[in-house]
Amino acid sequence: MNRKVLLAGALVVLPLLGVLLANIRRDPTSVRSPLVGRAAPEFTLAPVGGGAPVTLASLRGKPIVINFWATYCVPCLQEHALLQAVARATAGRVTFLGVVYDDEESKVRAFMAEEGASYPVLIDHGGRTAIAFGVAGVPETFFIDAQGRILYKHSAALDEETMRASLHKIAPALMSEAR
Amino acid sequence: MRAAATCALVLAVAAPLHAQAPAASAPAWPSAAELSGSDPRVVLGAPAGQGLHGSALEAGTKDVAALLRCPVCQGLSVADSPSTTAQNMRHQVRSLLEQGYDKQQILAYFEKSYGEFVRLQPPLRGINWLLWLAPVVVLLGGGAVLFGRARTRAAAEAAAAPAAPADPALDDYRARARALAFGETAEPTEPR
Repeated sequence: MNRKVLLAGALVVLPLLGVLLANIRRDPTSVRSPLVGRAAPEFTLAPVGGGAPVTLASLRGKPIVINFWATYCVPCLQEHALLQAVARATAGRVTFLGVVYDDEESKVRAFMAEEGASYPVLIDHGGRTAIAFGVAGVPETFFIDAQGRILYKHSAALDEETMRASLHKIAPALMSEAR
Repeated sequence: MRAAATCALVLAVAAPLHAQAPAASAPAWPSAAELSGSDPRVVLGAPAGQGLHGSALEAGTKDVAALLRCPVCQGLSVADSPSTTAQNMRHQVRSLLEQGYDKQQILAYFEKSYGEFVRLQPPLRGINWLLWLAPVVVLLGGGAVLFGRARTRAAAEAAAAPAAPADPALDDYRARARALAFGETAEPTEPR
């Protein structure tokens, strides 16, 4: 075959193959966020059901898990029990927060009454906090260390393995002994 | 069930750890300057210009929203998408323009949260140059290859074509053909 044709074909195919190989092992639920490694966006949001607004800065000194969710989102409902159970188990050592994404407060309140809520769920009117966190759908969960930096973002329903690994990133002392 | 077992394990280990936790000083919390928060003044600093109002604000909102990708849609801009997320982003664009932030500042604000993905027109920097220049390079390269091939083929055909016979009987016909085609004036002679 003509060497020039072979060379031209290689010039087209090899870069595409390189891109494929570079991304083939990538976990599609592990979204590359520009916020990972950076300080979490500050916010002040009111909890569902009333009460004093919650400010991220007021939670300093402890690892934080922030879960963006909505009642219409099936994966959110699937991970609800795990989030609640782990929040109860780590109460006092890890702070869990829920942030409602594009949903009605009455529906959230009804859901919480029925399914239980072991940590505060905050209302994000206008979606400003979701935008600041770069949320592009629900569920999305951010794992923030005690210094206030986002160490991991998960863009799917959490399972036990992911929860363990993610908590280990932000609270290694807590989780390494639990393994 | 497995979740409950995991939690029991976490709790069993966490409780004593918590009890033994030293009263260490609280870790340094990021300063306001480090916080990439929702407050544009923290993220972007002071607005670059004067705030927009009225029809200029509406037009500006539409222009900037058209440059932002709706993160929950398939290839739609924030200006075109009816989704709630896009609506929220449009409101935020409007609010930032009202405060005097310019187009580049607003794009940078959203890029900080969503990455370069949120820009519908990738900026001319880094590897993006390749994206902008590759079509031009391919077009010029392809054109050069085609032009070269055409010239080679023309030269080969010219070399292979038999020379016209030197027949004086055809001179008149050639002269008339040139006159018709190119307007050359020649004194035609009557064909024999």
